[in-house]
Formats: sequence, structure tokens, C-alpha cells
Amino acid sequence: MNRVDAEITVQVEGLRREFDSKEGKVTALDGVNLQVRKGEIFGVLGPNGAGKTTMIRILSTLLLPSSGKAGVMGFDVEKEPEKIRAVINMASGAERAGYDFISARGNLWFFSQLYGIPSEEAHRRINELSDMLGLQSYLDRKFYALSTGYKQRVTLVRAFINDPKVVFLDEPTIGLDVMTALSIREYILKQAKEYGRTILIATHNMAEVDAICNRVAIIDKGKILACDTPAALKRSLGAPSLVLEVSPPPPPGSLEPLIKLEGVKGYTASVDEERGLSRIQVVVDDDGSAQSVIDSVRKAGMTVVSNWRQQATLEEVFVALVGRGFREREHEASQ
Amino acid sequence: MKLPSNPWLRTAYARLWVRAKSIYGEPLWVAVNIGFPFFTSFSLTMVYRAYGLNSFTGFAILGGVMISFWGNVLWSMASQFNWDKQVGLFEIYITSPAPISAILVGMSLGGILGTAPSAAMVALLGWAIFHPPINAVWPAVVSVFALTLASLYAMGMALSSLYLAYGREADSVNEALHEPVSLISGVYFPSTGGFSPFPLAVQAGASLIPLTLGMDALRRTLFFGQGFGEFYLDLELLALAVMGVALLFASSKALKFLENKGRRTGTIAVRQR
Amino acid sequence: MSSLRAMVASVRVGWYREFNWTNPLVGFILRTVGPLASVIAASTVYYVGSINNIPPSFSPSLLAFILIGAALYAHVAAYSWVPTLAIAEGKWTYVFPQVYISPHSSLPYLTGRTLASFVTSTLTVIVSLILSFYILSSVFHTNIPFIVTPVSISLLFLAMVMNIFAALGLGLLLSAYALFATKFEWALPTYVAGLLMVFSEALFPVSALPHPVSDVANVLPFTEFMRASRQAMIYGDMYSYFSYLGLAILGGIIVLALGLLAFSYAENRARRLGVIDKKTA
Repeated sequence: MNRVDAEITVQVEGLRREFDSKEGKVTALDGVNLQVRKGEIFGVLGPNGAGKTTMIRILSTLLLPSSGKAGVMGFDVEKEPEKIRAVINMASGAERAGYDFISARGNLWFFSQLYGIPSEEAHRRINELSDMLGLQSYLDRKFYALSTGYKQRVTLVRAFINDPKVVFLDEPTIGLDVMTALSIREYILKQAKEYGRTILIATHNMAEVDAICNRVAIIDKGKILACDTPAALKRSLGAPSLVLEVSPPPPPGSLEPLIKLEGVKGYTASVDEERGLSRIQVVVDDDGSAQSVIDSVRKAGMTVVSNWRQQATLEEVFVALVGRGFREREHEASQ
Repeated sequence: MKLPSNPWLRTAYARLWVRAKSIYGEPLWVAVNIGFPFFTSFSLTMVYRAYGLNSFTGFAILGGVMISFWGNVLWSMASQFNWDKQVGLFEIYITSPAPISAILVGMSLGGILGTAPSAAMVALLGWAIFHPPINAVWPAVVSVFALTLASLYAMGMALSSLYLAYGREADSVNEALHEPVSLISGVYFPSTGGFSPFPLAVQAGASLIPLTLGMDALRRTLFFGQGFGEFYLDLELLALAVMGVALLFASSKALKFLENKGRRTGTIAVRQR
Repeated sequence: MSSLRAMVASVRVGWYREFNWTNPLVGFILRTVGPLASVIAASTVYYVGSINNIPPSFSPSLLAFILIGAALYAHVAAYSWVPTLAIAEGKWTYVFPQVYISPHSSLPYLTGRTLASFVTSTLTVIVSLILSFYILSSVFHTNIPFIVTPVSISLLFLAMVMNIFAALGLGLLLSAYALFATKFEWALPTYVAGLLMVFSEALFPVSALPHPVSDVANVLPFTEFMRASRQAMIYGDMYSYFSYLGLAILGGIIVLALGLLAFSYAENRARRLGVIDKKTA
């Protein structure tokens, strides 16, 4: 691992991880390369099963790579896990880890002691971090009595209690209401900007990535497909994508021919239940390709109720890279 | 209270605090923990008494006291990491710099502190109701008790690594272990020595369990007036000390091995639910 | 019809819940060693005390008394707490709220889970009785006076089946508490199991208890069930067997009625308080 460049806090080279399963070997990460700089909020965006959590687990020393190298703050995950553990922390949105019969404050104090933090300092940090997340008045409640949202806030306070240099967050706002998710994002932004922490967020929430990430790596089937700022990734698509509202809903398989059209990079479809329409978003190269898409949809027996062009979203970037949207990709993975 | 700055001690204290606070912060825990040991102890004491076997009533009461600790070792030591894994706490331990051994020692001390009130209640109620005949050498009783607990909880630490390796449905494994070990160890009756009905081979096997030696030593010091200097008692004390150290060592090695294995196979953070 | 379907499905779920975490044989073995050890331990307590008494007072007939009681008490304790387990566990996994909001399903669900556990604990108690009989006969070098004929075994089985009323009633009483509780509800069955051990003549005659406690214990359906079982397997008095069985059934129906009432009240209250889907600590 190159320790000379002090600005790089997370470095991954040719990272590979395979798992044994009943169906044979499953490759969760397939030769991943990336570098994250100090103070960056770095998003790892991809559908379920893409390899995001596996990467977080390797970097947080929970899991060893099958091959390749990974390092945090210049320390190797395989050879120097203890040194990494002293400078990192992690939190998963799905976890509500805590002792039910201890107060939130007691739980946070306990976790602070795992990092050897003096009690006085620990309480100061608990108060400061809790204040940022609106948790102060809940600190003395027993953990089991907290709602999901407040348990998640406790989790996020815990993730920063040891003043880590690098924090790994896996789906930090999953299952939370909009306002709570917003306050958590503000908190994460503050931690990176004011304290210079490197924060790696694994998520499939594109709004989150757009809102707070300096750079994002798009991952699918264990491979990094693209890595840049969200704005640059969206600009890379060039022409805005085409959106069609159609009726009746497309029969299964009827949209497959769209991929074969010249200038079409991919599509994703959804249903607007209220209006009884289906919405198809197609990433196209130019106006000519857009017209071919409209003609093809009409040929398939659907009526195009309306159509327009819109600025690319990160999902469309994904679609352009993979040919399918998140939803379709997750459906394929489950087959 | 100013805590030690040594990270190992700090971690051990924090884990002890969590456990003790959970119990003493909810006084109902004492009532909860007393149920099974008290009623089992009561029933077996009644067996001794109802059939005219009064001189043995103390055995059953002592059994009730020790079964409280044995239950704590199984349910709150051996399988604790399994529960921790399910709620995501175990991966927090692994990804922190805190030594696992400190967490285990903290859990043990907290477990002893937390179980002590219910064990004491069983002893007090048993003594008040049945007035068992006692012929105790109290310094020896206290020493034997402390050493027995140390070995028992060291066994709990060693078991915690087994549970990590074979963690599914830890409560079923606990239920399967609880009674057989109580039987073989002679929690309610002497399973080794002159009073034991078991064949020598079974007695020899039973003597490998710290609880067996501890129970026998406690009976000698509490009911038969034996103190330090008695050959078999001293032998049992020595064996308990050796077992305790060996189990501590084994648990530390096993947990490190399992952590590395878990990192290779990807099972550290796998939740069963 | 949907209630019956729900109950049958719950029996299936209960079976899988007990064994599906491993292969059935391993699961069965693990389920049996506990009760077997418990039976042997209780019997050994008596044996060790009696042969070392001055003068020795060991009686094979008393050993048989304790053996039957220890095995059957464990059997009842094992399945009577299943309704509480189903609710406590079901709140944690969110299964129970789903069951509750489906039509007429919470009672069939709890009954089905209990019946599944009755089957598994019946199997384990039969194995425990057989194994402990042979182990203790051999280790204690004694003849344990069991009556082992097709008739006696059928009568024992009949008594176990008839005891389901009482056990289910007890289970529903406990689960009524579990509907409200958000902590420690799993501890209540251990208390009740302990009380059963003391007050149902499992290991010693209830006459050894002081008045008026012994009077209450004397009329419990579980006590009558124990007595009927011992008549079937040890004493062979048919008149006494059917008398005790009748009292066990009558008492069981009363306990079941109380359990149903308590559960119905508890459901209503829990719904008003909004705790049916409140997770337990």
C-alpha cells in the first residue's frame, strides 16, 4: 500500500470477493479499483446485490478479500486490521444495534469505551453529536422505547463517537421518513465539511447521492461501471432522455425490442397507478433514436399519451451503462 | 468514578456496566431470574424432605444457587455473541479496536454481579423454609465459590466460541445442554465420590466439567466441615484453577481463530433472522 | 372452515419452527436430551437420598412415581407455554400482527402451534420414559414396577390427550399476559412451569405441602392428570384411573374456559391500547 499520498484515505486495487453457495461460486466483487480522498463524501451506488455492502464489509475489516488489495488510511485490511479499526467506524441503516434496557446515552457511552475514550470526553461528544441530530431529549430513554427513526439517529451518533477519520455508512437513511432522512444528510455533510472526515456511503437512493456525494461510483454485478461527480456522470449522457407515458401497460417482454434500436442505450419502466398509465424512460443518443422508440412503442400496440425530454438522472446513467434500470436489474437477479 | 485509562480495562468495565445496569436498572430482572432455580430447587428439596431424607435438603438448595449461575453462563455468556450477531452488535465489536477478551471478561463479571441477587434469594428462601443442616468452614466456602464461578464463566467464554461457529438456534442448543450438564455435574446430588450412583467412567468424565468439581468442593466445605488441607478438597481446588486458566486460554485462541475464519467465509455479520 | 385451515397451517408452521433449523433427527435428539436428563436427575435425587439414608429407604415404587411425574410434568410444561412463545416471537418478527388481522385466526394459530408442540413433546416424553426406564434400571440395579401393556400405554396416551384442554387453557391464560407485555413475558411460563412442578404432584405427593396450599393443589386438573397416568402405568386401578381422568377433563374444561375468556378480554384491551404489534424488548 502506498503511504506517501496522505490525501488518499481509501484505496482499492483489483478487489475481488467470491462466496460459496449452493448454486456454486458467487462473485460479489469482480476486480474493483477506486480511490477516495480525505474529506470526500463518496457514494457507491447500485441495485441490491451489486456488491456495495460486500465492499463496505471488506474495508471495515469484517471480511477478507478473495484477491486484490484494499487499504484504509494506508493500512492493509488483511494485514493491519487493528490499525484500521482504531480510525474508522461504520453504521448500517438496517441495524438497530443496542442494549434494550440501557438508555440511549448509556448505549453510546458503552460504545465510546470500546474506543478507549475518557468518560468526560465521551459525554461531551454524545451531547454534541446528539444535538446535531435532535436526539438530546431522547438520550435518557431506554433503547427499546425509541422509535425506528430515533434508534437510527443513535446509530449515527455512534458512528462518529470515536472521531473517526473514515466512516462507512450502508444505506443510512433506509426506511426513514423524508424529514429524518434530510436531517441525517445534513449531519453527514457537516461531518465531512467541518471535520474533514472521509465518508463512504453505500446506497441505492439516487436522491441521496445527488444531494450529498462529491463523487459516486456506480456498481453493478461486482464491477465499477463509472466513477465521477454526479454532475459529470449526468452530463456524460449528452442528450436528455426520452420519457413516454403510454396506455395500456406494456405486456411482459414487449419493451425488449427497444434495446435493439440504434442509438438506444437502455430503458426503465414504471406504473403510475393513479392515472392508469405506464411511464417508460429511455436513454437515447439523439432525436432520431427518440422517434424510433416512439414508433416502436406504437407498433407494439400501445398509445403514446404524452412524451418529453428531460435532464438525465443517475438512474438513467445506470440504465445507459447497464441497459436496465435498478428495478429491472434486481428482478433479473432474483430469477 | 475515574476509569482506568488502559483500553482493555475500560472495555471490560463498560461491558460489565451494561450488563449490571440492565439487571439493576430493571429490578424485575431479579424476580425473572429467580423463577426457574427457585422452583426446581424447592421441588427437589421437597423430594428429599417428603421421603424422609432431610440431611440432603441442603444439596438441593445449593443446587438452586449454582443453577442460577449455570443458567447465566449458558444463556448470557455462551450464546450472547450469537444474540449480538443477530442485532448487529457483534460486528461493532469486531470493527472496533476493543479486545474481545475484555468484552468477555466484562460480560462474565457483569453476569456474576447480575445473577448474585437471585442466587442469594434462592439461598435465603431455601434456608428460611427448610433449615438445612449446615456444617461450614466459611473461608473455604468463599474461596471454593469464587474459584468455581471463575472456572464456570471461563467455560462460558470457551462455549461462546463454539456458539459462534455453530450458532443457529442457540436457544435449542442451550436447552439441550442445560439439564444434561446439571445431571452429570451433580448440581442437586453428588455425582462423584462415595454417594454417586454413576459408574466410574461417568464420574471421570463428569470431573472434566468445572461445575462438577465446584459442586463437590462446595458440598464438602458447606455440609461436611472440610477446609483447606483436606486432600480431595485441595485437589479439586487445584483442578478448578488449572481448568479455569486452560479454558481462558482456549477461548481466547478459539475466538481469534473464529474471527479470522468468519472474515474469510463472510459469516461475521450474517444474521439468522 | 378458514379457522380450521388456519389451525392446520399453524400446526405445520409449528412443526417447522421446532425442527426446520436443522435436520429433524438432530432436532429431535436435542429436544429429547433435556427432558431425559431432567427425568434422570429427579429420579437420581431420590435414589441417592434414599440409599444413603439411615436406614436406607429406597422403594422402586416411589422411584416409578417420580419417574412418571418428572417425564409428564416436563411434557406439559413444554407445550403449554407455546401460545406465549408464539405471541412474543410473533411480535418480534411481526408474524403475530399479520395473523391477528386475518379473519378468526389468532386462536386457531395459537391452538395449531400448541398442537404441533404437543406432538413433538409427546414423542420426546415417550423416548425419555423408555430410555430412563432402561438406564435407571441398569444403573440402580433395580426393577422399576411399570405396567407396560397395550392397554396401559393406551390409557396413558388417552390421559395425555385429555390433558390438552387444561394445558391449552393454561397456555391461553399466559398468552393473555403476553399480548400486553413488552418485556419479560417469556419469563412468566418459567414461573408457571415451576409452580406446576411443585403443585401438580409431579415429584412428591401434594399432601407434603402445608394446608391450604395442598387443598388447592389437590383439585388442579394437572394433579388429576398425573394421578391418572400413574394409575395407568404403575398401580393399575381402572376405577381410580377413570375417576382421576374424569376430574382432569372437568378441570381442564374449566381452565380452558377461563383461558378463552382471559384471552378474549386481553385481545380487546390490547387492541384498545395499541400493543398488539408493539415489539418486545
